[in-house]
Amino acid sequence: MPPRVQNQLVTNSLLPYLSSSSTSTSTISKIPTQCSSSSIPSTSRRTCRPFSSTVASQTRLRNEMFTWLNGEGAALKNYVPGSTNYLTQIKERDEQPTGRTRPFPLNQNFVSESILSEELRNEIYDRVVNQKKSVRAVSVDLGVDMRRVGAVVRLVELEKRQKQQGKSLALPYARAIHEMVPTTPLYEDTRDNRNRPHESINDLPVHKLTDPQIFYPVSESRQFNRVDAGRVFSAAPALENKQVTNDTADPAEAISRITQKPSNIEIVGKGEAEQQVLQPADARIPHPHLVAHERFRQSKPTEYREIFKAYNERLRQEETAEKERKRLAKERQEQQQMKVQPESSRFEFRFKDVVVSKETTGSDGRGSKAPGLRYGVPSYERKKGQVKIPTRVEV
Amino acid sequence: MVVRIRLARFGNKHQPFYNIVVAQARSARNSKPLEVIGTYNPVPQRPTNLSDEEARSARPYKEVSLDRSRAKYWIGVGAQPSDGVWRLLSLAGIGDGRTKTQN
Repeated sequence: MPPRVQNQLVTNSLLPYLSSSSTSTSTISKIPTQCSSSSIPSTSRRTCRPFSSTVASQTRLRNEMFTWLNGEGAALKNYVPGSTNYLTQIKERDEQPTGRTRPFPLNQNFVSESILSEELRNEIYDRVVNQKKSVRAVSVDLGVDMRRVGAVVRLVELEKRQKQQGKSLALPYARAIHEMVPTTPLYEDTRDNRNRPHESINDLPVHKLTDPQIFYPVSESRQFNRVDAGRVFSAAPALENKQVTNDTADPAEAISRITQKPSNIEIVGKGEAEQQVLQPADARIPHPHLVAHERFRQSKPTEYREIFKAYNERLRQEETAEKERKRLAKERQEQQQMKVQPESSRFEFRFKDVVVSKETTGSDGRGSKAPGLRYGVPSYERKKGQVKIPTRVEV
Repeated sequence: MVVRIRLARFGNKHQPFYNIVVAQARSARNSKPLEVIGTYNPVPQRPTNLSDEEARSARPYKEVSLDRSRAKYWIGVGAQPSDGVWRLLSLAGIGDGRTKTQN
């Protein structure tokens, strides 16, 4: 590569940096060839360069750029505070609202997802903490995923604590972000939040068991539904005929039986391969009670009050079952654990019961369920590529 | 030869973690023991998920996992706990509760 020589051609030092010739990095050796092959009419002679009457090739484009900036692009120069200022909005401002979510006109596949507005965020926190509503109910009412509701509550709590401690908040940053991406507002009538949700709240996570493609012949006379598909995926025997007829008679009841008592789910497999039977999608989605709600609404389309009452009842049942389950789990954990606070120590000692037996240690004493770190098993702790940053929050 | 209940150090540099093991007294610290009856993590953990009131009085905790019946059995047949394990066992209510010096 030839050495870069700065040609000192900018005679007027008051000339703004931008309008100086862009060929300032061209080399001396190239200048004669450029002179000979010059075909572009010189549009700007203000950068008087000795030995050259050529105009840099970019100048036309630059001129076009300034024309655009002064003409069409001038609309973007001043933006409305509190709203996005995307390039795509110029054309589509009046036509369709897609310009609000697609910032790059040449990349239609990029969609900027909206974030929660301040009001919606505060409303979520208020409902969960002050009005003591369950995360599940708030999630359905405001159209926000349950995990996000939990995150909002934790973060607002953190923000309050920081304010209390007199720590400064990154408010200019927050304001800038809120102007760069679209936000989901809190509508006047909060029912609109339910009709136009922030995100899809009932997404079904892909289960690992559903990965393989299974060819499973079924006779035409037999009904094969999602429950059966789940059983096939987890290699469980088909259900008894009697139970199938019972479940199809009252599907809502069958689903709520699974969601409210997950400990009753059948277990298949032996030893290491022991696992619960894969349940149908209706039971695995985050809000199974919404399916029952919709089914009830279809059956009685006009009786709003009854629908509302049934929905609340269903929600309450779901919540009490969840609370009971959590309480039992906590109780079981407390039972297994003994806490000792000796007076001579600053610390508390938590004793957990483990079992050393042939079942846990195995016949050769090397079983993976045995207490303690194992002997003769390599530790990959210091191996390359071990991720040690926590990827989830245990709450 | 004496059978002892003692600690075997696992974990990394500055991150101690112990197995509570039953082993012959003259064997090396990390050699294969007769039996592993529990673990002891001496690094204090901060309790989480507490309300403000609870958090004020909460102490950092150290985790011990222990098979009590096996510990009682080994002491019953004459295994001698080391000092550290003696302390842990007496906290867990195994043994006679006296400290070793009084013994």
